[in-house]
Amino acid sequence: MKTLKRNVLAIPFLIWFGLLVGIPLVYVVVLSFMSRDHLGNVVFRFTLENYQKVFDPIYLRVFANSFLLALLTGFITLLIGYPVAYITSQLEPKKRNLAIALFMLPFWISSLLRTYGWVILLGNTGLINNVLLALKIIDKPIPMMYKFSTTLIGTVYMLIPFMIVAIYNSVDKLDRSLLEASYDLGASKVKTFFKIVLPLTIPGIAGGFTLVFTPALGLYFISDLLGGGQTIFLGNLINTLVNRGRNRPLAAAFSVGMILLVTLVISIYGRITKDKGEGLFQ
Amino acid sequence: MKKPLLSLMNINKYYGDFQALKDISFDIYQGEFLTLLGPSGCGKTTLLRCIAGLEEINSGDILLNGQSIKDLAPNKRNINTVFQNYALFPHLNVYDNIAYGPRVKKSMTEEQLKIEVQRVLELVQMIDYEKRMPDQLSGGQRQRIAIARALINQPAILLLDEPLGALDLKLRKHMQTELSQLQKKTGTTFVYVTHDQDEALNMSDRIIVIDQGVIQQLGSPREIYNNPKNLFVTEFIGDRNILEVEVLETGTDATKVKLGQNELTVTNSVESDKIQAGGLGILAVHKDKMQVSCDPQPNSIKAEVVSVHYAGSQIRIDVQVADLSLTVVEYRTACPCKEGDQVYLTWIDGGAILLPLEGQVNQEERGLA
Repeated sequence: MKTLKRNVLAIPFLIWFGLLVGIPLVYVVVLSFMSRDHLGNVVFRFTLENYQKVFDPIYLRVFANSFLLALLTGFITLLIGYPVAYITSQLEPKKRNLAIALFMLPFWISSLLRTYGWVILLGNTGLINNVLLALKIIDKPIPMMYKFSTTLIGTVYMLIPFMIVAIYNSVDKLDRSLLEASYDLGASKVKTFFKIVLPLTIPGIAGGFTLVFTPALGLYFISDLLGGGQTIFLGNLINTLVNRGRNRPLAAAFSVGMILLVTLVISIYGRITKDKGEGLFQ
Repeated sequence: MKKPLLSLMNINKYYGDFQALKDISFDIYQGEFLTLLGPSGCGKTTLLRCIAGLEEINSGDILLNGQSIKDLAPNKRNINTVFQNYALFPHLNVYDNIAYGPRVKKSMTEEQLKIEVQRVLELVQMIDYEKRMPDQLSGGQRQRIAIARALINQPAILLLDEPLGALDLKLRKHMQTELSQLQKKTGTTFVYVTHDQDEALNMSDRIIVIDQGVIQQLGSPREIYNNPKNLFVTEFIGDRNILEVEVLETGTDATKVKLGQNELTVTNSVESDKIQAGGLGILAVHKDKMQVSCDPQPNSIKAEVVSVHYAGSQIRIDVQVADLSLTVVEYRTACPCKEGDQVYLTWIDGGAILLPLEGQVNQEERGLA
């Protein structure tokens, strides 16, 4: 009876989900097997040509670039985010809430505007260069824009709140008496961290990594604005293929590739958190 | 005189303005089972955490074998704790949990460790459980592993913070016996925290009764039970009728008091010399050491029966004397009385004590648990 009621209540969600996720997804998959005519219009003729192109070494480079960017973004946000989350969880409640509010504050401003903020900061006539020039520390501007690392700075900045929040939740749930038991049994604070805190917060780390990795793979405006198109990422490629190349079937094939990559990462995450009884998808 | 293993000297502990421990001093001797007993919030757990090093003391000193340990971090003290919720590491199996202490201190080789883990598992009767994860164990089993994990370090003192609190009554009784056997077998000094007087009376060599951060009484279970030194201990330990009486006449062996219209002679107890004639005193009588008679008896209290309850093997009789309510618990009754009957209450020798009245504190203020 109860399950029936629950199933009935799930109907609106299923309709919503089907309309907004299911149908577009099927559409993309179908599209990826279609051909196009010389004008760029989609023709309903089955082909594997798009997927052959995906495996072209030039395009595989794009996959590699994106994968590397997402991976590095994940690691850097983890290295910065873990200590931040850990220290935050140790604060007294008032300061802790303030800190969390500050992490969330950037979300109130358009991410596009925030990315332009980095241009103002890092550009050749940007704030950092101007200050360094005025202080006569350098005599010509340091080129900081339009590099792989510039894009990386942008994605790290954009996605780090997700990492902090995910790890914070995990650290916050940690039973303090476990730490006390560890000290009591003779472990120093450092040993306690590596033997107790870190292993018990792996679900948080994995969750944060997934939350950061997935969008990092597809973000394209950051690499457009900060990377200047010097390195091509999946997001840029798909964007270009749809808006300028008029090759939607190929764009769809890349999208399917990206979806598979994301699915892989999420399934690894699912594995890590399966036995721990916590995680984002339970 | 025996040298103390652990000496607490004038320990004071504050949380902001709140003083959790007030000038606590006592000694613990090698091999004894000492219990800190008191209602919740009395400071007993705080005291235990101070000994473990998990809380800093504001003043005073703690000496272990004559050496001050008050500035040592918990991992540098040869003292281990069994936590109230056991605090087993959920990501480690039983073996790795027990091996944790020796491993972080690098005090044993892996071969020695194997033998030692077996030894402590045998002590707590948990052989063959090495590979289990903590969440695959029952409450009682976790309890044993927590004890094994502490004992493998061969601590000078084992601290136990209400370790039986989470177990059901039957298991609790069983674990009481097991714990005291374990303590005797290993010869380890136990400091045990509980709010349960039965546990304390059953297992301890000595009991320290604490209330409001102050030691109320320190003594053997028998002393604490039979001769409570003040009103708090009298109310907290045992089940007594506590009656305010007028003191008529003091003497060396006995004191004459007046309860309602009854004049009674009470044999003097430890604190009776502080009583003054003409003042007020507290007469405390164990409910199960009173008897109900249908006919007048010498040195008895005339009372009216309010109600009679049969509770299995025992009978509870509620009576009224003037404006005071009393309860008598009997196992065999000499007087089958009913509501409204006139009866005469006596107590068996040693069943009553007489204390001076400390008018300033009352039961509500203490917030008895």
